[in-house]
Amino acid sequence: MASEALLLADIDAFFADSHVLHRVSFRCGEGRLLGLLGRNGAGKTTSMNVTVGVLPPRRGRVEIYGAAVAGRSPEAIAAQGVALVPQGRRIFRSLSVRENLAVAARKPRGGLPLLWTLDTVFATFPRLQERRDQYAGTLSGGEQQMLAIGRALMSNPRVLLMDEPSEGLAPQIVAEVMATIRRLKEQGLSIVLVEQNAKLVFDVADDIVILNSGRVVIDATAAELKSAGTDLHQHLGIY
Amino acid sequence: MNISLLLAANSIAFGGLLFLLSAGFSLIFGLMRIPNLTHGSLFMLGAYFGVSLIALGLGFWPAAIVAAFGVAVFGGLVERLLLRRLPGAELAQVLVTLGLSFMIADFSLMWWGGDPISIDTPRALRGATFVAGLGFPTYRIAVIMIAVIVAAALWALLDWTRLGAMIRAGVDDPEMARIVGIRVSRLFTIVFSLGAGLAGFAGVIGGPILSVYPGLDQDMLPLALVVVILGGSGSLIGSFIGSFVVAFLYNFGQAMLPELAYVVLFLPMLVVLVVRPEGLFGRAAP
Ligand SMILES: Nc1ncnc2c1ncn2[C@@H]1O[C@H](COP(=O)(O)OP(=O)(O)O)[C@@H](O)[C@H]1O
Ligand SMILES: [Mg+2]
Repeated sequence: MASEALLLADIDAFFADSHVLHRVSFRCGEGRLLGLLGRNGAGKTTSMNVTVGVLPPRRGRVEIYGAAVAGRSPEAIAAQGVALVPQGRRIFRSLSVRENLAVAARKPRGGLPLLWTLDTVFATFPRLQERRDQYAGTLSGGEQQMLAIGRALMSNPRVLLMDEPSEGLAPQIVAEVMATIRRLKEQGLSIVLVEQNAKLVFDVADDIVILNSGRVVIDATAAELKSAGTDLHQHLGIY
Repeated sequence: MNISLLLAANSIAFGGLLFLLSAGFSLIFGLMRIPNLTHGSLFMLGAYFGVSLIALGLGFWPAAIVAAFGVAVFGGLVERLLLRRLPGAELAQVLVTLGLSFMIADFSLMWWGGDPISIDTPRALRGATFVAGLGFPTYRIAVIMIAVIVAAALWALLDWTRLGAMIRAGVDDPEMARIVGIRVSRLFTIVFSLGAGLAGFAGVIGGPILSVYPGLDQDMLPLALVVVILGGSGSLIGSFIGSFVVAFLYNFGQAMLPELAYVVLFLPMLVVLVVRPEGLFGRAAP
């Protein structure tokens, strides 16, 4: 199954004594976009933390293109080609925009062509170019989100994780972010898009996984869910 | 030459020395949040290493560089083997570094003995250099120049290189820095070694001025503390200016109010701590 970009299998994860993820399994196929949905506190961010190595799972497997990474350090997992746009953006506030991008720069694995550099990120996000020498902490929320995405791309990842990239942004900026995600998907990047807003996700996702209280309750293709007219409200709260 | 001019010249040279000592202390405290109470010991250890290397036949400058390297390696080991295991535990860090400083003092007393040892001024820098008709000790001018060069190099490293940006990213948000792929723990070892190496280097450079003796460590540590509190931890420019302020206070205090030299030195520190805890040049904690 080498076409699996990311696989989580039977993950149990804990915060201290509280059991947060229960036997969570999902996968993101190569070049596909997985929408990971669930209401607040469902375990979406925790799943991302497990994937990037910040929270080692107590049991279960995490694989990047078949390589087992559970229990390895975040640096080692980053080197496997995983990049995260974290919830809350977490840009380096006291670094300039250019430095935020530069510190994340990495060549793609396996001698693939260098897709993302300072120049190509600036070409994609002209606003960042305009503010390249500004401290990142002075950017607006939308600009910070662009920077967080740009920073993730600078590592030339093969799996991109995005944790609620639309959170707290004005509608036209959300539209911009979604357009960017679409473009990345067209370039063949494998993407996990975490959202609370199901509408946004169904527009772009190939596959959908829904978490509820730390358990996977739905794992299907977006097309299946649409045609079945499955009622998702019970899992997602009210929209 | 009148006495206060001589005092001023000596203060400037001593300020240069203090900067070499406290820049590392400030970086380690500002970036890694580790109050490294071995810093005075690293200074003394550097000086003693220098003494032994010179006794082995090395020239002054090669001895200074080798001693700095040796102290850097020692500092790196302390960070890797001890401090690494105490992240965020400032009280434990204080106790461990304090205990280590006593151990270094004991070991030094055993190995190098209890008598002060002076280090000869390098031959080329003996005598006086005349500036505007006034003669200044050449060696002290050299110390000032070294401090300025080191300050510029450190500033360039931190502000203008990718390595410097990575270090600052690791300070801003260590977890996120690791997710981005930065090896934060390795960077912190580098910072600690660099700070230790600078302190060791300062110890040798200071040898011709201060000589080396048991207790040198505990004489220097409070000075570094005052510098960093006055200047603001993690601020290079703060350490730089703070070093000269402290050197002036120290030298003039000892000459003019010898009974109250420590009052002259520590009173400004207390005032700054109360009025502006982030230091004169530090940024308030976010
Ligand atoms: N730092 C933490 N310490 C303790 N519990 C936490 C922490 N972060 C999250 N949790 C708990 O873990 C569960 C899942 O949280 P999270 O993964 O952040 O949810 P989501 O991202 O889906 O909103 C929640 O019940 C939350 O209370
Ligand atoms: Mg979340």
